[in-house]
Amino acid sequence: MSRIRPDLSDEPAVRLDGVSLTYERTGEVLSEIDLVLKQGSFTFLTGPSGAGKSSLLKLMYLAHAPTRGGIRLFGRQTYDLKRKQLAALRRRIGVVFQEFRLLDHLTAFENVALPLRVAGQKPDSYENEVIDLLRWVGLGERIDTPTPSLSGGEQQRVSIARALINKPELLIADEPTGNVDPEMGQKILRLFAELNKRVGTTILIATHDLDLIREFDAPVLRLSDGLLARDTALGAAT
Amino acid sequence: MSKRETPLLPVSDAREAALFFVVGALCFLAALAALTTRGTYKAAEAWGAQIEGDITVVMRDTDRRTAEQAAERVTALASVFEARVLSREEVEALLEPSLGPGGMPDGLPVPMLMVVQADTSVGDPSPSIEGVLDDLSIDGDVAGNAGYAENVRGALGVLRLVALSIVALLSATAVAVIAFATHAALLARRDIVDVLHLSGAEDRYIAGLFERRFWILALQAGLGGSVAALMVTALIVFTGSGSAGVEAQLLPRLSLDFWDIVILLVTPLMAGLAARFAARLTVLASLKDTL
Ligand SMILES: Nc1ncnc2c1ncn2[C@@H]1O[C@H](COP(=O)(O)OP(=O)(O)OP(=O)(O)O)[C@@H](O)[C@H]1O
Ligand SMILES: [Mg+2]
Repeated sequence: MSRIRPDLSDEPAVRLDGVSLTYERTGEVLSEIDLVLKQGSFTFLTGPSGAGKSSLLKLMYLAHAPTRGGIRLFGRQTYDLKRKQLAALRRRIGVVFQEFRLLDHLTAFENVALPLRVAGQKPDSYENEVIDLLRWVGLGERIDTPTPSLSGGEQQRVSIARALINKPELLIADEPTGNVDPEMGQKILRLFAELNKRVGTTILIATHDLDLIREFDAPVLRLSDGLLARDTALGAAT
Repeated sequence: MSKRETPLLPVSDAREAALFFVVGALCFLAALAALTTRGTYKAAEAWGAQIEGDITVVMRDTDRRTAEQAAERVTALASVFEARVLSREEVEALLEPSLGPGGMPDGLPVPMLMVVQADTSVGDPSPSIEGVLDDLSIDGDVAGNAGYAENVRGALGVLRLVALSIVALLSATAVAVIAFATHAALLARRDIVDVLHLSGAEDRYIAGLFERRFWILALQAGLGGSVAALMVTALIVFTGSGSAGVEAQLLPRLSLDFWDIVILLVTPLMAGLAARFAARLTVLASLKDTL
């Protein structure tokens, strides 16, 4: 896999400097956001609906360009990336989309395998890995089911498996537990915590679920009115 | 177990059926244009070469003996295949349209006519023929068809240009149609393209998906068009081969030889390549503006 220099280990995984985002129709959603996610950190992002959580995440996984300000990923400025470098950088990031964004004409297996497939790998080389991951998220019986036939919670788990299959250095999850029962929600977050501890994956989770946040000893960022604040009332202080 | 590699671009039947038809029709027209042009060209070229080699010599106030003598000496020329003096009946037959049936009045002097088949590749034998006439003190005229053949050749040049323009126009149309279709498919499949991008797919990879899709579609459609052109040509060859005479000579002479088969095979290949080219350019150009 191609890597983008510099990749100094003390560089934060994500660094936002004075980032603002203005949508044409809606106006300014984020204003002057400064944010650092250290490598190996585990962070929650919360805030009222419409506060701009998803928008902030989109900037981080390079789905949108900010209107102003700079975004550095793994120490690399992102505004001047070449097309190939952009693709290479995206392969280091796993994303769980709020609206799943599964490909309807593919099976659960094929959706999970997508990041490997677009990187040029063949099914023989990843078959076992994909099946193991699907079993782990409780979809062992649904491996070759087309995703539109899955329930909302099942689709969410497929999208989580897809975000993890590439062993990303940075995992960005937008409401990853919004459609699963509390038990499955906890199981998923425990997996994230384990990845964070064992592999050092940097994790950022946007969620409304305050109960879930309380169970984890992690910093919580609060977004409201386009501004970011560190929330000390929730979760344990760090 | 299945291969678990469903194509990443879903097949969209209605739109692709229409595109299939358009590309097939374009290939049909292109193949037919190429085939008929080639047929016409072959016919006209053979005809032109033939008339170019035909020389008519009119000899006045000469008896048949002297005329036959002249014919013998003309035949001996290097650039002449054959020279022959027409019989009185043949001359009368030639003059019939202007004199009416019943032949010539007996007392009228009939000119002697000698037809010469020249080998124009060696050179124009006209001056040598005139020399022979002078030697034998014959008052005569040598009339060749060189100027006429020149006109035929000019017309052939125009024909070739027209045919090339038609094929070029059809190719450009095919490229434009595919580019348009790629653009539409890209818009309709924006969701998929976005997910592929965010999953780390390079532009080349995404372009490759569209390229492969349209390459196969155009290849199949082009083959369909070619087969249709082949069938139409075969029909013309079969029904046309019965008629003989002047019309048959002037009609495009369609026959299927090696090069015609090459045309029929190359047409779908060209369509496929044009489709790949158009799809690639369209995808890469429109992805450039996305993040
Ligand atoms: N593509 C877009 N174009 C225009 N406006 C947008 C777009 N995406 C989001 N918005 C607007 O930006 C604001 C923030 O949306 P966003 O989805 O980031 O909120 P959120 O915090 O994720 O909300 P939720 O908790 O409901 O998911 C909303 O007012 C929304 O209408
Ligand atoms: Mg959201």
